Amino acid sequence: MTQVLDGSALYDQLIVARSRTPLFAGRLEQAEKVGNGKNPLCGDKTRVELALDHNHISQVRHQTRGCAICLAAADLMAERILGLSPDQALKVGQRFSALLVEDTVPATHEGEFEENAALGPLMAFAPLRAHRSRIRCAELPWVALKEALSHDDV
Amino acid sequence: MSVLQHKNTLDSAAIRAQFPILGEKVHDRPLVFLDSAASAQKPVAVIDAMANTMRTQYANIHRGLHWMSERTTEAYEGVRDLVAAFLNAPSRNEIVFTRNSTEAINLVAHSFGALLKPGQAVVISEMEHHANLVPWQMLRDRAGIELRIAPITDAGDLDLEALQTLLADGKVGLVAVTHMSNVLGTVTPAKAIADMAHAAGAQVLFDGSQSVVHRKTDVQALGADFYTFTGHKLYGPTGIGVLWARKELLDAMPPFMGGGDMISTVTFERSTWANVPHKFEAGTPAIIETIALGAAITWVESIGMDAIAAHEAYLTAYALNRLQDVPGLNIVGQPQDRGGVISFTMADVHPHDIATLLDRNGIAIRAGHHCAEPLMRRLGLTATARASFGLYTVKEEIDVLADTLVRIRDFFV
Repeated sequence: MTQVLDGSALYDQLIVARSRTPLFAGRLEQAEKVGNGKNPLCGDKTRVELALDHNHISQVRHQTRGCAICLAAADLMAERILGLSPDQALKVGQRFSALLVEDTVPATHEGEFEENAALGPLMAFAPLRAHRSRIRCAELPWVALKEALSHDDV
Repeated sequence: MSVLQHKNTLDSAAIRAQFPILGEKVHDRPLVFLDSAASAQKPVAVIDAMANTMRTQYANIHRGLHWMSERTTEAYEGVRDLVAAFLNAPSRNEIVFTRNSTEAINLVAHSFGALLKPGQAVVISEMEHHANLVPWQMLRDRAGIELRIAPITDAGDLDLEALQTLLADGKVGLVAVTHMSNVLGTVTPAKAIADMAHAAGAQVLFDGSQSVVHRKTDVQALGADFYTFTGHKLYGPTGIGVLWARKELLDAMPPFMGGGDMISTVTFERSTWANVPHKFEAGTPAIIETIALGAAITWVESIGMDAIAAHEAYLTAYALNRLQDVPGLNIVGQPQDRGGVISFTMADVHPHDIATLLDRNGIAIRAGHHCAEPLMRRLGLTATARASFGLYTVKEEIDVLADTLVRIRDFFV
């Protein structure tokens, strides 16, 4: 029997590292926007807290109880959306979702947000495309973000 | 470790050859199927029974006046005899075909529940599948029945002293508990539970979804009043389950669903009901699936429930032994009597990550709350990984599982 662990490519080193040592875990002292995500199938849950400064996300924290993919997705989401406007953050979320579920990742269009909509380290989740049962794990923090941004100020 | 020295009593190669799917590959690896507690794979005997029914002897049953209908009715009703013998039920007329165990329990909650009076109580346990919890919550909410929860011990056994306390006021009309936990593998002491229930004036229902697969079931020896199981975990098809109940209970209970086949006479003013069990079988049933359930029962009995039980006891002991050696692995529950279901967690690795990486190596297990969220909460967990065995499981598959778990742990830690 081979000693190679198949499927480890699903778990990019960045995902393993961030699940083990998240950089954005915790609570904000004064959160302006809060959103929650829960996956009833597995019980994973995440709470995303945001602070805004002049319509830009100035601070992000998440409290996540879940698998490595969910934890890393929350942490890398927090990193990616820091400094973006809410609209820009949601646009990154749309592209992230497309990365996971669409047959081809949509090409970058011309436009003022395009640079900010680049996925960057979130590309680490691309192999999940072949593992549909786990896509919801990576999307959960974005569900929470969407909820946070759809609320009026807390 | 006497069980570990037990010689394997089954001809595993011959048995595995009866399951075409076990020759399939998953992610270019041989399939190691350790998720039989969710649903078991199907032997050729069952596959052929379904196909042959559709090819050679299919028509609607009970009401046809032609040869095909009569022959199909005989095949369908013959399964009632097989199931009655399989459970050692006193009468074939006590066997009610349902869609699955969930529907069987809903039937009891609806129809036996209609005989309970407000203020009476139903007792379930902390380790029930949602199928034996939610129907009772629904009964509670519509009929003013109290729902009591019998606790389990930290080891994962039903706390019989606590159950006794719950029965003490004589208000309990029914004790409904699992005969084998789908999470912990706990086999509950059914006879003792039945005796306690009866002494307190209550009836007793056992959810046998897991246990009928692994051991010989004798509803009379258990002292059961209701017993449920499902075909698809017993190597049979989906869509067919069984409720067994004592005839006087079935006679007293109102119908569950109305329609064709369950009536005696129908006018626009009123209808009268068919005799049991037909009173509880409205509409065209799962004819093909029922006939194939019969094939499944005949097939497992040709191997022998005692031989199956011995094989699985050996596998379970072997697996508990092997899994103990996996660093960071914690087996959930240490019940006194257990079947071939093992839940575990691993420090620093989430059950879903375990399941995904096992899958990529061809190994199918289940991870999550296993439709037993309150039990998870009781155990202080949100999810576990679960390996479960069938009669086709072999020791080498447990070795592959244990070795792969070590590598998964190495990968994450």
